[in-house]
Amino acid sequence: MLNFSLKRLASAIPTLFLLITFAFFLIRIAPGGPFDSERALPPEIEANLAAKYHLDEPLLFQYGRYIWQIVRLDFGPSFHYLDWSVNDLIIQGAPVSFTLGALALLLALMIGIPVGAWAALRQNRPADYSVMSIAMIGISVPNFVMAPLLILLFAIILGWLPAGGWEYTPSRMVLPVITLALPMIAYIARITRGSMIEVLHSSFIRTARAKGMPEKKVLISHALKPALLPVISYLGPAAAAILTGSVVVERIFTIPGVGSYFVQGALNRDYTLVMGVVILYGILIILFNFVVDLLYAWLDPRIRYDDAEVGP
Amino acid sequence: MLLRAVWFCLAFALAIVSPPGLAGGQTLHRGLGPEPDALDIHLAQSLSALNVLRDLHEGLVTFDARAELIPGIARAWTVSSDGRVWTFELDESARWSDGTPILAEHFVAGWQRALAPATGSPTVGLLDVVAGARERRTGQAGENAVGIRAIADHVLEVELVRPVPWLAELLTHPVTYPWPGEQALFSGPFKLDGRVPGSHIMLSANPRFRQADRIELQAVHWHVIEEPNVELSRYRAGQLHITETIPPGRLGWLRELFGDELRIAPYLGSFFLVFNHQRAPFADNLALRRALSLSIDRELLTERVLGAGEVPAWQLIPPGMPGWPAVDPGDPRSQAERVAEARQLYRQAGYSERRPLRVELRFNTSLAHRRMAAAVAAMWREHLGVQTRQVNEEWKVFVANRRQGRITQVVRGGWIADWRDAANFLQLFESDSPLNYSFWHDAEFDRLMASAREANGQERFDRLRAAEQRVLDQQVIIPLYYYVSRHLVHADVEGFEDNLMDIHLSRWLALR
Repeated sequence: MLNFSLKRLASAIPTLFLLITFAFFLIRIAPGGPFDSERALPPEIEANLAAKYHLDEPLLFQYGRYIWQIVRLDFGPSFHYLDWSVNDLIIQGAPVSFTLGALALLLALMIGIPVGAWAALRQNRPADYSVMSIAMIGISVPNFVMAPLLILLFAIILGWLPAGGWEYTPSRMVLPVITLALPMIAYIARITRGSMIEVLHSSFIRTARAKGMPEKKVLISHALKPALLPVISYLGPAAAAILTGSVVVERIFTIPGVGSYFVQGALNRDYTLVMGVVILYGILIILFNFVVDLLYAWLDPRIRYDDAEVGP
Repeated sequence: MLLRAVWFCLAFALAIVSPPGLAGGQTLHRGLGPEPDALDIHLAQSLSALNVLRDLHEGLVTFDARAELIPGIARAWTVSSDGRVWTFELDESARWSDGTPILAEHFVAGWQRALAPATGSPTVGLLDVVAGARERRTGQAGENAVGIRAIADHVLEVELVRPVPWLAELLTHPVTYPWPGEQALFSGPFKLDGRVPGSHIMLSANPRFRQADRIELQAVHWHVIEEPNVELSRYRAGQLHITETIPPGRLGWLRELFGDELRIAPYLGSFFLVFNHQRAPFADNLALRRALSLSIDRELLTERVLGAGEVPAWQLIPPGMPGWPAVDPGDPRSQAERVAEARQLYRQAGYSERRPLRVELRFNTSLAHRRMAAAVAAMWREHLGVQTRQVNEEWKVFVANRRQGRITQVVRGGWIADWRDAANFLQLFESDSPLNYSFWHDAEFDRLMASAREANGQERFDRLRAAEQRVLDQQVIIPLYYYVSRHLVHADVEGFEDNLMDIHLSRWLALR
């Protein structure tokens, strides 16, 4: 297991390096630069700005400079938010996005898995159909529709909750967390139901039942674990995505997370900010996929990563 | 079990429900628009940054509640007989937020930092009217060449390259503010308490401000909100006192909902389409340019298509500009007569229904621009048979294309006054201006602008008006409408006065 973990982590380095390289050159291919604005600057002032941010150097030079910075964990100054460095922006924004994402994820798991399992036990009965129809709606209503509806109801009509803005208080978190969690609840419920049905038809469940094991025990200790495998593989990338923030939810609730920096950074040609967020996202994806692999081994006795453990 | 969980969640929800409301006391909550690019007086460029900086700092000259000029840190000033040397007498009671006096040398330090090439100030070009400033910022001269001097602790002298009648307006801009060095000190009515990027900026009253006794607000929170619809929601939920704008196209509904809280007022800005004069088909084709302009029904466009109070425009310079008429005289003919002339000119330019003009109309992503472009294209097609391709470009692509002028034909243009002077608009069309994306180079216009620089008073206005007329006669642009300022202002807010500059310093506001 340790061997496998070390190998996986070592292989992450070239992956990240490729990611950085691609992103670095791609964002610079995009037309327009960080200092283009409604009011074109006189050429001498543009030259001053370019020199200040080393944009006047050859591209390969800039690339080398950037890689050297990254190695020292310095993501450079933001080209658009001049008062901040990219490190500042990520350090301020990431905890907000993480908090919201983690709460949404937790809520989604707490509701999605029981609901999915429950529907599976009532397969093709009215309860199953109604739960799955609601889940389908949850998946198909985009969050840019759901969020304003929630705001209209709870903030404007009922006046119970604020319409946006951020503090670490429950009242500010409720609506964004629900908006983020709803489609995930629906996904998780559907995936759980599907795999649960499959597992319930497999022979080891039949054996367990035949041995006279109580139904509750069959479900919880034998069926649920393998049924969660597809949920886990969905969760890897989904967790990385939700923890780095959602552009839509952040904009609608005016939440200062890192999600909107993705889009703002790209639109503003804020090269360093885009790179910072891409690297953060890349690291999280790699990390969560690794965690998913470990969880797999724990959940499914057929999967083992160390050759030595494969017995005859 | 499921039911129990649901009940638990509901109970939890009820426990945290707290009607937000606007916290009591004298804390004003204002919508800001996008995150400011910088709160460094020499680096800030965006409107949102300028709004916050005007609360945090003060210049030699400042604005009253109606955005008229009043003395700021300069108590009084005199101008030499040739108009080139201005001497400012500073208010001795002016203090930084730590209590140390604000001296003439702080202004000198500020301007020198702005002009130093290493600072990379994007707005430093505004100081070009100061002797030696241009040479200094391009690195051709040292600090000593710049015409700003501290004569005494509280006397500042500024030497200009030529008489500049609007200098006082310029001195309200943050790039001209005093600078205390690399420490967070504030010269204005408020000081910075805290800031969360992408969320809000917190200001509290500065007790050391020279007129601190006249400030009623204890604190101002500027909220970063990019989407007008989101800002509206937060206003409706009672979280904002003043919004930065309103969403487009919902004027009737907003008026019904908010009545007097909706404040729409003329604003010194104009919106126009710009022809590319260095490319076919518009280069040297006045008849065609006129035809396209005449065939657009501005009333229909502003009332039915844009619908946020915009005013139809036939000129470049917005009404209300000093030296300009209070209303746009417009075009006295009916739209039908204009269209008839447009058709004639269109044929004269060599186009017809069988040989229609094919043109690209370029604009950046925005709901209002998209509606404008669709309406203009429809009017051109209906009246002239022009085939228009509407090209919607992402912001940076649009700006880069417009500036290069290699592929553009007709582009969205517009200008909002930096200060109340017509030359601020007309500079867009000077041959050597980096802002000239019409690529129209006209010796007559350049001559008029140069002669206006030499003149004063009414004579100067006459020359500037002649220059504007030249732009209109040559149909360099198609003026479409004048901007309006749009805010929702809560009934509890006192002292908010509509004005042409749309500048509302928090120091004049109070909460009932």
